[in-house]
This record gives sequence, C-alpha cells and structure tokens, in this order.
Amino acid sequence: MSMKTTIIPEDQKIEIKEETKRKPTIGVYALTSCYGCQLKIATVSKILEIAESVDIESFYMLSSDSSIHKKVDIAFVEGSVSTKKDLEELLEIRKNSKTLVGVGACALQGGVQSWSNGIKSYDELFENVYGKNKIEISEAIEAKPIEEYVEVDFRLPGCPPEEEEIIYFISTFLFGSWPEEKDYPVCQECRFAGNICLLIEKNEPCLGSITTAGCNARCISYNVPCIGCRGPVPNDVAWFDSLAKVFVEKGFTEEYIRERMKIFGSHHPKLEELLAKVFGGEKK
Amino acid sequence: MRYVKLKKEKIREFLLALQDYGELYAPIKVSEKYFDFRRITNEQVDEVVLDYNRTLRPPRRFFFPEKEVLFTFNSKKVEMYENKEAFTSEPVVLFGVHACDIVGLRIMDSRFIDDQPDPYYRARREKGIIIGISCLPDEYCFCNVRRAEFVDSGFDLFLSEVEDGYVIRVGSVKGHKIIDATEHLYVKVTKKDSDDLTAFDVKKSKMFTVSGNWDSLRYTLELNDEHPVIWMRESEKCLGCGNCTITCPTCRCYDVKDYPNLDGETGVRVRIWDSCQFREHGLVAGGHNFRPTKESRFKNRYMCKNAYCKEVTTAYCVGCGRCTYFCPAGINYKQNLIEIRGGI
Repeated sequence: MSMKTTIIPEDQKIEIKEETKRKPTIGVYALTSCYGCQLKIATVSKILEIAESVDIESFYMLSSDSSIHKKVDIAFVEGSVSTKKDLEELLEIRKNSKTLVGVGACALQGGVQSWSNGIKSYDELFENVYGKNKIEISEAIEAKPIEEYVEVDFRLPGCPPEEEEIIYFISTFLFGSWPEEKDYPVCQECRFAGNICLLIEKNEPCLGSITTAGCNARCISYNVPCIGCRGPVPNDVAWFDSLAKVFVEKGFTEEYIRERMKIFGSHHPKLEELLAKVFGGEKK
Repeated sequence: MRYVKLKKEKIREFLLALQDYGELYAPIKVSEKYFDFRRITNEQVDEVVLDYNRTLRPPRRFFFPEKEVLFTFNSKKVEMYENKEAFTSEPVVLFGVHACDIVGLRIMDSRFIDDQPDPYYRARREKGIIIGISCLPDEYCFCNVRRAEFVDSGFDLFLSEVEDGYVIRVGSVKGHKIIDATEHLYVKVTKKDSDDLTAFDVKKSKMFTVSGNWDSLRYTLELNDEHPVIWMRESEKCLGCGNCTITCPTCRCYDVKDYPNLDGETGVRVRIWDSCQFREHGLVAGGHNFRPTKESRFKNRYMCKNAYCKEVTTAYCVGCGRCTYFCPAGINYKQNLIEIRGGI
C-alpha cells in the first residue's frame, strides 16, 4: 500500500469535474523509409491502450483506409523526402496536422540513404544503385530530412525509436504537455548501465558521445560501438571536432571518420565546420 | 576502537557470512581495465577482487540511484503517492570500499542528510553497511592531498591489509554485531600486525605522485578564473559526454522529469542524475543558460569540485582519479590542477 499525500488540505479541496474530452486524432505516415518506425509503433506493448486513448485516423502500415488528406491533431511522420511524391505528401500532411512529429533517423537526419551527402553527387549515387535505368514511381531527388521542407514540432529519434519514448510522446500529449527533447549523449546511459567504454578500452570508433541519448546504450551493451542512429545531440552540443581528434589519435583516417559520422549525421549543419577544425580546409 | 584479525584463508567465509546482512555488492573485474561493484551471490564470492584500482560506477549509486521514482501522482485528485521502495528494500552491504569513496559518501551525506534531509537517501544509507578496504595508489590517485587517504569514520568495518590477512577496525554498532556473530572467523591482532600496518602506510605514502595539501586550491582556482590557457585548451578536447561526473563519487546534481501514463491523468515523477557538462543543466525557464558554452561547463566542474564545498572542511573532490581514468578524451584532471596551481 502506498502512502497518500494530499497537497491541498481536505477542506479547501475543489471537486474537479469530469470533462467530456474529445479523443485526440493521430495519423502515422511514411515517406521513403523501411517502414520500421511504423512497425515499432504498431508493436509497442501498450498499443491497445494507445488505441483506446486516441483516434487513429491513418496508419499506413496497418490500414488501407489511411489518407494524407484527413485532418489530424498529431501527425507522426517517418521517412526522408527522397522523391517529388514524398515532398507533395509531406506538405499535405503538414497542412492537415496541428502538431507534426518527425519519427526516426530518415525523417530527422535523412537516414542512411543520405549518408553520402556532400561526398558523392546525386548522379553518381543514382548510377551506383540503378545503373542506366529510370525509376517510374516518381522523380527521385536527393534524400533530405523533412525539416528541410516543413516545420517539425517534435523529434522522436531512433532507428527505430524506443518503445519507452513512443509511449512518452503520446502520454505527454494526452496529459496536455509535451515531450522534452534530450540533449545529452548516449554515454550517460552507457555509464548508468555499467558498460565499459569501448572507445577508451577497445579503441572502437564509438559515436556515443555525439549521439542523442534515449536508447539506454542498446548497442554498446552488446559490445557494438555506437553508429549514431539516434542522430547528433541537438542544440549544438555534438562535438564532432573533439571526437574526431580522439579518433585520429587512435589511428583512424580522416576519410573513415567523416564517413562514419555521416551515416546518420550528413545533414548536420555544423559537421563540416567542426571537422575542418581538425582536418583543416572545408571539404566539398 | 575494536580490532580483530581476519586471515586471508577466511576471506571467503567472511564474504559468505555477509550475505546474512543484506544484498552484498563487491568489486569484480568487468574487463581488462575496469572494475565495478556488482551483486555477489554465494556462487560469485570467488570473483570478488580485494586489490583493485577504482570502480567504474561510484558507491553513491546504491543510496542515490541513477534513476528513481520520487512519487506517483494523480492530477485529477491532486494527490501524490510516496514511493515506498527505499523503505522496504533489502539493505545494501557494500564490501571493498576505498577510503576516498567513504569520504565521498560522507560528502553525499552532508548534502542529502545534514543539509536537506532526503528520506529515500537516508533510509537506504541508514540501513546500508559499508565495509572498507585499504589500497595502494596508482598514478591517477591523489587522495592524500585531499586528506581522503585514511578514514576513521563512515564505515561499519574497515579491512587493512597485513602480511597474511586483514586487521579489521570496527566502526559502528552494526559492525560490532557482525563481528560478534562471526567471532569464530577471527584471531587476535599481534604486534607483528601492528608493525605491518605501519609498513603499509609508509609504502603507500611513498607511492603518491603528489604531496602536501590541496585545500588551498580553492583560492588558486578562484584567482585564476580567467586562466589564459587552460580552460580553452582543455575544454576544446572535451566531448561533453559527462563520464567525469557520472563516475564521480561526489556528484549530486539531478534532474526531475514527469512521465505521465496513457490515461492522461496519472504519472510518475522521476529523479535522474544530471551532469553540469550537459547543456540543459544550466538552462532555466525563459531560455537563459547560466553555462551556455562548453568552456563554462568545463570550468564549472573544476570550480565545484575544488571551491564550492564548505560543509565538510574539504573539497568535493576526494582524489579517486575516476574523472581522468574514465575520460575518453584523455583529459588529465590532476595534471590540470597542478598546472593551475603552478606546481605540486
């Protein structure tokens, strides 16, 4: 039995009337992606509880009745903008939603499909993958995060996002508040977990120190160095330069370091500027 | 003080006997370089390491956990419900705590018991059992200049190494009770043991790479607040990862977060270790940040550890060496302090 503490004295207590609240409507959409974020949302253990608390208007992976033209309170969008069609859909989703949540590495950082941004030209990349063929669905464009085109209200990172955070986002919305952004790195959770530091001890190219926390150091707990899938720590505290210096001391080449940091960070506005502090000169 | 002697061959039995007093945690080797306090069951007593440098995670986590529920709430009824876990949990028996870490716990006490009593911390601490062990310094240690290389309180039992075992000092009523109940394990302390203790101390004092007393660092740091080189040069290396603060035995900062449930009415309020190396630590309502740059955050830790502690007549730093040992960027805190001081 838990002890009860009432903040307001009994005699001053106000009866709060049960309001008849309309359930918030949500939509779950995908642009160019592996659909993994939707799969993750669809399979969280509390999905039935969520389904009772909100009205799901669209959920592309689960229902063919989904439509980007329906109005919703909250839109969850996964995927990068990689085609003209993606862009049209995104603009329509933004127009029809009050709140837009970018979900996962593709929507927030452009995904692995944009790792070569600034390294390979779009034409080179296209030819590597498709040769001389044409793709029919829609005109392909360089893969970019959705934030390059529309305003994103909240960011739910991960590849895919963690169950705990999906629940946290939805429950804060239901509570009438909003999800707090994490701007500290994976290292915090890695030390909490009692993991050894792979960077110090095994000289592994771990990106934990520049990557947004929230995964409870999932990979490092299995002795796999962080690859940065949750994206660089927001608010300009991803220190690419300091980490690159450490990597150089451990014998990694400039090319390797840049490529690794670009897998999930190629669109970060400060990446090249900070790397230039270590390697000199602005890279193309 | 009461003294008994535990011979080396009886250590195993001693550790097994400790199981009766709560959940036993002791240092084990977790990798080539690292040790950590881990839960020790009867089958694991042989893994306990008596001779280790420092643990990855500090002892404070057993009394002030990384994450803990402060209370659950119901916003409709405007009520909150206390978390009973701290009061009902088994006592923690922490074996193998170095002197510096015991001072670290006393520093934690000064803030969480003496200053603003925290019921959860106090409950865990009061029922907890601390068993210290003597150690020899490596190049990262500087507990001597922090006056933390020796303790005469803050433990229930303290094991000091002699040639063929350990002289146990009894430091509390709980300690007496443990010794009374396990009296068959001990022999009397001899003159030879007493001589061994002195020899150990002499050996230990010669191994430190610094000497004297660094209490005055407070003034040196405050007067060098604008040091022309060190803050910029060293903070440039910093990854902002927070390892130095998370592994520190005396960091006390925490953040408080609400996690509502899906019913939109109830939820939990959680306290979670924070770090002054993180941007949000200095951020307040309205968007002002007291420490907006990496350099200012870097400097804050040096100031806090050396100049902000007035409660226990020493610094918040106990010289355990963790912040250097566990820094992925190789920032040498001890060396930097020497540089600021302008000499050993």
